[in-house]
Amino acid sequence: MEFSSCHGCSLCLLSCPVWRQTRDVRMTPHGRAKALQNGATAADLQASTASCTLCGSCEPACPEEIPLVDMILELRRQQPLKELVPVHETIVPISEDLLLAGEALRRDPERVKRIASLLDIAVAADDGSDISRAIECGAALPSGRVSSFIGSFRNAKRLVVADGLLLRKLREWLPEKKLVSLGEALSALEAVRARLRATDLYVIEPRAFHADHARLVRHYAALIEARNVKTNLDLQRLAVPTCASSAAKRVDPLDQARWILDGRAFERVVVEDAADCAVFAQVTDRQVLHIGDL
Amino acid sequence: MRPSRSTSGRSTSKQQTNTSRWQSAGWREFVSSLKDVEVVEDTPMRGTFATDAGGTAYGMPHGVVIARSAAQVSALLKAAQAHRVPVTVRGGGLTTEGEAVAFGGVLLDMTGMSRVISVDKDRLTVRTEAGIFWASLAEHLRRQGMDYLSAPLNLTSSVGGTLGVGGIDVNSARFGCSADQALALQVVTPTGEIVECSDEVNPELFRRVILDYGQFGVITEATLRIRRYTPIRMRYYHYSSLRTAIEDLQMLDREEAADYAGILTMMDAAINLLVAFDSGEREAAFDAKWHARVRGMGEAVFSARAFLSYLVRPWRWGEALFLRERKRQLFPEFRRPEHTRDGKMEDRTVVFSRAVWKFWGGRQMVIPDLATSGAKFAEAVERGNAVCKRFFPRYTLYCVGIRLREEHRPHYEMSCIPPDAAGWAYGCEFEPMLGDDTWSRDHLQSFKNAIYDIGVEMGASYYRFGGMMKGYIRRVFGDELVDRHLAMKRAADPAMILNRDVIF
Repeated sequence: MEFSSCHGCSLCLLSCPVWRQTRDVRMTPHGRAKALQNGATAADLQASTASCTLCGSCEPACPEEIPLVDMILELRRQQPLKELVPVHETIVPISEDLLLAGEALRRDPERVKRIASLLDIAVAADDGSDISRAIECGAALPSGRVSSFIGSFRNAKRLVVADGLLLRKLREWLPEKKLVSLGEALSALEAVRARLRATDLYVIEPRAFHADHARLVRHYAALIEARNVKTNLDLQRLAVPTCASSAAKRVDPLDQARWILDGRAFERVVVEDAADCAVFAQVTDRQVLHIGDL
Repeated sequence: MRPSRSTSGRSTSKQQTNTSRWQSAGWREFVSSLKDVEVVEDTPMRGTFATDAGGTAYGMPHGVVIARSAAQVSALLKAAQAHRVPVTVRGGGLTTEGEAVAFGGVLLDMTGMSRVISVDKDRLTVRTEAGIFWASLAEHLRRQGMDYLSAPLNLTSSVGGTLGVGGIDVNSARFGCSADQALALQVVTPTGEIVECSDEVNPELFRRVILDYGQFGVITEATLRIRRYTPIRMRYYHYSSLRTAIEDLQMLDREEAADYAGILTMMDAAINLLVAFDSGEREAAFDAKWHARVRGMGEAVFSARAFLSYLVRPWRWGEALFLRERKRQLFPEFRRPEHTRDGKMEDRTVVFSRAVWKFWGGRQMVIPDLATSGAKFAEAVERGNAVCKRFFPRYTLYCVGIRLREEHRPHYEMSCIPPDAAGWAYGCEFEPMLGDDTWSRDHLQSFKNAIYDIGVEMGASYYRFGGMMKGYIRRVFGDELVDRHLAMKRAADPAMILNRDVIF
């Protein structure tokens, strides 16, 4: 961890959803880094660590380029969240280009089928959602689970990953593979882009976006330019998250969704994260669509 | 000879500047008396506030209170008066002289009060809690198609902190300093009264609290003037003479030729006059009337001349390489495509602020400044530039004009606005590029003193005269004025608890 590099500029607070809802510096990357500089242990920081939604917006904001998400994951490994992590045991070796649907998207098999058809891609039977949840919670996995999971992609050329946190880790584990987020893959399709309207509010999935911010900010700038859509990007071009997919429960996704909608004129909400569909449906009477439903 | 510097890395940083401070008397009783106010006393939380952006003053509060409401702040200050416990108020913590560092007592973290209360698009005002960062305020305002008038080029300055000291922007020559945007305030006085004040209501308190360096009250809410948002069109003129650039800046300010204007330099080798416009009409008028009068060069001509100049001076090739590398890194930051649309820059504050932190931020920052009348400014900058050269191989100057509001003269007394300024005051910040090098405190302090000595000699003022620089207050303002303010302070704050290490 490189918490010692933090010199307290507070830029990470500006986009932090936990900060927005608590206004308590202890619950922020800045607060954790400063606490660690002053001798705090992982146990001292348990409440703060548990509150983080892992949206990752702090990381591209940090001028010191401190790996803030890794910092949280390391602290959680030392103080795991008390969350039951079901473990997948079935591994199906596959050699095609694959969609890793993830927990939220998998709940709607019809949508998964539509997306697979749009992307002309097979759906992985094992999407690693147990691994993602274990990473998020700092829980231990049975030995060999990760290696057998990534080993099953030995022959895959391209993986489309809906879970932003898993995508981040897969980039570490499979540096030679072509890995893209579901949002990027779909929003790059001309057939999908053409269906976006200037009256849409397009909600970018934050974890994948922030993990590859320097590149993706240009991808979405081009999308905005081409389709004139509004997005959940803030003035720093960081994605305001609902945190609906997060295991941390400190942030109220409905309040985040209201903030995303605040002051924005729109006819439809188009989301990349399937978990956001239900959240926005509760705070607006306008149509809420997953990008795969366009 | 290159000045001496520390070789011990971070070991120079944790030094207390004053050992004769409040020493815990009555602390337990004070905490016990605060029934509904949480005082956080654990070391990690206290350590979060151990220093400010300057990173050269260190102190530990006994406890931290996160501000939540005016009533809570009132209860805190009443108890602090009764138990004579110092209270240091902190917003973004972007001071450089330890003004936001608590050397014992309570650190009141105002960022806990950072919600926008209401936006009035018809009257062009916003009411906000004062602990809000300017960036967060901009975020709220933009959703309504609005923007603040002027704010420091730093995303995490707080509104309340800025109103207490001034705040400058590249449009201050048009709108005045950020503090001049305030129309009304909710203030908790040092004795705990919650008071609304403005030019009409409790005007004496309003005059005192604006630009008071936190001496006469805690600003908990503020009503500010705002305006409709516009992206801006920017251009740069390049100079090799500071004086010429300053003369052009002052000419543009006097004639209100541009909506934004300021000078940003790399040493005195690359001097950039930034000029920007809110509309195509303003830009067209500039081109028709003023462009030909501006003596700065375009980028290509300036680069070619600089190349030839360095070519025959091999002993300065190191500087030339530095400038080339700096330009290569910095310029793309100002032209990021995600912040540019149709050739206009959106979110100038974000762009500038990110660049400030990325290219000028570091573990230590010292930014002594001089604020003068228009007539004295060029000389002050030239003399300050000579000091910079003596102390550091790499540095930056940032110069802007500040439009003065005659009706605000009472606010300006004993502030960064020099008493002899009329129409506009001018400010220059002298910032060595320290990077992650650690310089000795003695060296940094000597540098600041050398800049501030110029101010004493020239009858100037300073933006950062509190904290570690407060030794200059009597020298620059004189005993009569300082004693008058001290008497007012004693009357308003009998136990002298509020921000006691900042000014008095």
